[in-house]
Amino acid sequence: MVLLTMIARVADGLPLAASMQEDEQSGRDLQQYQSQAKQLFRKLNEQSPTRCTLEAGAMTFHYIIEQGVCYLVLCEAAFPKKLAFAYLEDLHSEFDEQHGKKVPTVSRPYSFIEFDTFIQKTKKLYIDSRARRNLGSINTELQDVQRIMVANIEEVLQRGEALSGSAEIDTLNQKKYSSESPTFNKQHFLSYLG
Amino acid sequence: MHLGRYDSCGIYQIECSFCLLFLFVEILERVWEISFLFVMLFCFCLDLLFQQYPGVSQLSSSLGGLSLQSSPQPESLRPVNLTQERNILPTAPVWAPVPNLNLDLKKLNCSPDSFRCTLTNIPQTQALLNKAKLPLGLLLHPFRDLTQLPVITSNTIVRCRSCRTYINPFVSFIDQRRWKCNLCYRVNDVPEEFMYNPLTRSYGEPHKRPEVQNSTVEFIASSDYMLRPPQPAVYLFVLDVSHNAVEAGYLTILCQSLLENLDKLPGDSRTRIGFVTFDSTIHFYNLQEGLSQPQMLIVSDIDDVFLPTPDSLLVNLYESKELIRDLLNALPNMFTNTRETHSALGPALQAAFKLMSPTGGRVSVFQTQLPSLGAGLLQSREDPNQRSSTKVVQHLGPATDFYKKLALDCSGQQTAVDLFLLSSQYSDLASLACMSKYSAGCIYYYPSFHCIHNPSQAEKLQKDLKRYLTRKIGFEAVMRIRCTKGLSMHTFHGNFFVRSTDLLSLANINPDAGFAVQLSIEESLTDTSLVCFQTALLYTSSKGERRIRVHTLCLPVVSSLADVYAGVDVQAAICLLANMAVDRSVSSSLSDARDALVNAVVDSLSAYGSTISNFQHSALIAPNSLKLFPLYVLALLKQKAFRTGTSTRLDDRVYAMCQIKSQPLVHLMKMIHPNLYRIDRLTDEGAIHVNDRVVPQPPLQKLSAEKLTREGAFLMDCGSVFYIWIGKGCENNFIEDVLGCPNFASIPQKMTHLPELDTLSSERTRSFITWLRDSRPLSPVLHVVKDESPAKTEFFQHLIEDRTEAAFSYYEFLLHIQQQICK
Repeated sequence: MVLLTMIARVADGLPLAASMQEDEQSGRDLQQYQSQAKQLFRKLNEQSPTRCTLEAGAMTFHYIIEQGVCYLVLCEAAFPKKLAFAYLEDLHSEFDEQHGKKVPTVSRPYSFIEFDTFIQKTKKLYIDSRARRNLGSINTELQDVQRIMVANIEEVLQRGEALSGSAEIDTLNQKKYSSESPTFNKQHFLSYLG
Repeated sequence: MHLGRYDSCGIYQIECSFCLLFLFVEILERVWEISFLFVMLFCFCLDLLFQQYPGVSQLSSSLGGLSLQSSPQPESLRPVNLTQERNILPTAPVWAPVPNLNLDLKKLNCSPDSFRCTLTNIPQTQALLNKAKLPLGLLLHPFRDLTQLPVITSNTIVRCRSCRTYINPFVSFIDQRRWKCNLCYRVNDVPEEFMYNPLTRSYGEPHKRPEVQNSTVEFIASSDYMLRPPQPAVYLFVLDVSHNAVEAGYLTILCQSLLENLDKLPGDSRTRIGFVTFDSTIHFYNLQEGLSQPQMLIVSDIDDVFLPTPDSLLVNLYESKELIRDLLNALPNMFTNTRETHSALGPALQAAFKLMSPTGGRVSVFQTQLPSLGAGLLQSREDPNQRSSTKVVQHLGPATDFYKKLALDCSGQQTAVDLFLLSSQYSDLASLACMSKYSAGCIYYYPSFHCIHNPSQAEKLQKDLKRYLTRKIGFEAVMRIRCTKGLSMHTFHGNFFVRSTDLLSLANINPDAGFAVQLSIEESLTDTSLVCFQTALLYTSSKGERRIRVHTLCLPVVSSLADVYAGVDVQAAICLLANMAVDRSVSSSLSDARDALVNAVVDSLSAYGSTISNFQHSALIAPNSLKLFPLYVLALLKQKAFRTGTSTRLDDRVYAMCQIKSQPLVHLMKMIHPNLYRIDRLTDEGAIHVNDRVVPQPPLQKLSAEKLTREGAFLMDCGSVFYIWIGKGCENNFIEDVLGCPNFASIPQKMTHLPELDTLSSERTRSFITWLRDSRPLSPVLHVVKDESPAKTEFFQHLIEDRTEAAFSYYEFLLHIQQQICK
C-alpha cells in the first residue's frame, strides 16, 4: 500500500508536488509521517545517497534523488522494495519531462501540485496486484536494489546519520539537527494555529 | 451719537475716553457676532458641498469633555430633534463614517467594505462603554471580491514573536532594525530580508515595503502553514429526486446551469466532481473515464450506508467530462415517472460525508421537502394558525442535533455543506440549516418553488446558481481575529465552527460570507491613543495555493462620552444588534429579542440625553450620528425575522434569521432598510458617468406610502429583489416608453423584465437599474408590481415608516421611545 508520495527540491527542501492516500482509514494518521518527510527534505543535500530506504516503525520511506529533485514514497513495510523504486523511477521520468526545467525557478510551495493526477494513476498501476507485469520489467531494471542503503528514519533525523553516504557520524551537523528539531516542532504547532 | 470718527484705516476712533472701553467692547462684540455668523455660514456651505463625498464632513473631534452646546462641534454630534424632523432619511446613501485619525493613517486604513466597527471612537474603559449603552463589535467581509490586492511572495512572513500578529501599516519602527507590535507592544527584530524592498529595489527602508503600506494584503504561505498538501477543488452534488422534487422541476435548471458552467468551476486540472441522487434509496454514479456511459449504483440499505465502489464516484472533471455531460443531460428525465415520495436526506448526507472525508471540499445539497426517512428525519412542527401570533413563536431552533453533528464531522474533514431548499411546504429549515451553519456552508431558500408556476423563483435559482458555481472559493480555511492588548472578543456570528477562543474553522470560504464579533474592554486603554484589529484568513485557493489574507483596522481611543457618540457607525451597530437579536430569539424568545432591540434605542438615547446640559423631555433628541437609529430598529422589528402580528411562515422567518447571521453588512442593510427611488421623473441632473454610460442618481425616498403618489412609478431595491411599483395614475408616456405597454391596464401581472426600448426614459431607467445590479455580486430578480394588484402586499410590507395593524408608524415609535426614556 502506497500511502504518501512527495516530491521536493533538494537544494532547499521546497515541496513541489504530493499525493496522499485517499480513503477514510489510512488518510488520517499521516500527520506524523508527513512532518518526518518534511524534515527529511530539509536535511538532504548533494552528499546524500541518491537511493535510500528509511524504516519508520510499521512503515517505510523510500526515496530517489535525480537532477536535484527528491522523490519520496511512504509505504507499508511489507510493500516490495522493487515496486517502490520502480514507481519512483516512473514518477521521475514523467516529472522530469513535464517540469524538470522549471524546478530551479519556482519559489511557491507545491508549484506542481497538479502532478498529483499522474501520481494517482501511477500509484494505481503499482498497487493493483494483478499488474504483476510490473515485476517483470523491474527485475531487469533494478538489479542492485540489494545495495540500496537501509537506515532508520528516527536516527537519520535526530542524529544526522547515514545522510552523508558513509557510516561516520557527522558531529557538527548532529548538534544542528538536534537543536533544530524542537524549533521545527514548535513552528509546526504554531502554524497549525494559523 | 457722535463719539468719534473713522480714521484712515476705517476703524472708528472713539474720542470720548471714558466711553472708550465701553464702546470698544460693544464694537468688538458686534464684530465678533458678524464674523461668527460668517464662519457658521461658511461652515454650513462647506458642509453642503461635502455632503456628496464620503466622510469628509467630519471635523476634528478633539474637544474632549466640552459640553455639546458650545461650537464648533463635529457634525456627527449635532443634536437632531427626531420628533420634529419630518425627513430624517438623507437623500443620498449613508456612507461609513471615517475614523478620526491623522491623514497618513486614514489613507492606509482598511476599507470599511472589508472591516467595520460599530464605534469608530473606541471608549477607553469598559465603564465608559457601558455608559454609552451601545454595542461594541466588528463586522467583517474578509473574502470579498477585490479589484486590487497586493500579493506578497516572500520567504519570511514577518510576524510578532509573541502574539503572532502580521506586520501591518500601524506598527512603529524603532531605528530601522526593530519594530514594535501595535497589538501587544513587543519589540521585534526586522529580518535581514525585510530590509530590501523588491518594488522600489531599495535597501534600508522597511516601512516602505508593501506589507507596511497596505492594510489589506495577501501572503503566499510556506509549507509550514499547511497540515497536508493543498487539497484539490472537490464538488459533490446531492440531489433530491423524489416525486415532489420532480414536480418542482429544479433538476432541469440545475443541470442546465452546470452544463453551461462546467468549465468555469474554480479549480485546476485536479478538480473533482461527483453526483449523488436520493429518494428512499441512495443512488451513486460511476463516472470512471473509459466507460461508455455513466453507471448508476443503488444502495437501498439506508440504515448502514456504504460506498458501492471505492473510487470513480468522485472523478476528475477533465478526464470524465464527456460522461459528466451525458449524466447531466440524462438526469432531468431519469426520474420523471417516479412514485417515490420519501426523502432519505440524512443517509444521503452520511454517504456524502464518506465520499468527501479523504479530501474535503464542497457538498451542495438540493432538497425539496421534509426529510421523511432514515436518520435525521423531521416532523412538521409548524402550526399555520400561529403564523400571525403576537405571543410566543416556537420552533426557531433545531428539532434534532443530527445535522449539527454531521456538520461538525464534515468540518473536521474540511467539507462544507451548502443547502438549497426549494420547498413549497414547511421543511423545518431551523433543523436543516445546522448542516450549513457549523460547516461554514451557505443557505439558499426558494419558498413555493416551481419551475413553471413560479417563474420568478426559477429565474432567481438560475441567477444564484451562476454566481454560486463560478465565484471564487477557498478551501480548508481558518480565520483568526486579533486585537490590541486590553480588548477581547467574546461572541462570534456567522457560519463556521469555533475551534478555540479566537480561531474559526471554515471548511470553505466564499466571497459572499459576512461575519460579526462582539468585543469587550478587559483592561483600560489608558496608555494608547490607537487600537488595532487584524483578521487573518488562511486558506487554500482553488488552484492549490496556500494563502493568507490579512486585513488591519486602526481606530482612535477616546475618553469622553461625547466622543463615543460622535464616532458611532449606526449601520454597523444595527447589523450587530440584528445578529445578537437572532441569538436571543433562539436561546430565549422572540419577544425578548424584540424588547432588547427597543431597549437598545431607549437606553442609548437616554444616555445621550444625559450629556446635553438642558435636556428637554418634550423632544426626542439624538446626535446626528444616531439619528437613523430608531428608524433602523423599527425596520428591524418589521423585518420578517422579528415581526409579530403579520402572518409569517416559519421557514421564511428562519431563513431571514440565517441571512442576518451570514450576510455582509452592505447586503444586510438593504434587507433591513431597502432603498426607494422615484423613477418616472429621472433626469440627468447629478448623474454620474460609468463606462461611457450616464447613470441617473435619483434621491432616496423614505419608506412610506406618503411618498408613493399614484401618478408616479417607484423602484425599491431590497438587495436580492427589485420591485417597480406603478401607480394607477402613472403617466402613459412612462408606461409606454419604459414598460412597452400602451396603458396601465395592459401591464401584465407578472412582468419581470424591462424591454429594451429606444426611448430616453427607457435608457435612463435601464441604465440606473443596471448600475444598481452591477454593484453587487448576486443578480437580483425584478418584479413589476401594479398598484392595487394582489402582488402589492410584498411591496407594501417594506414601507416600514407606516402604521400597520400590528406595528407602530415611525412617528408613533418615536413617541413610544420618548415615553420609555421619561419613565
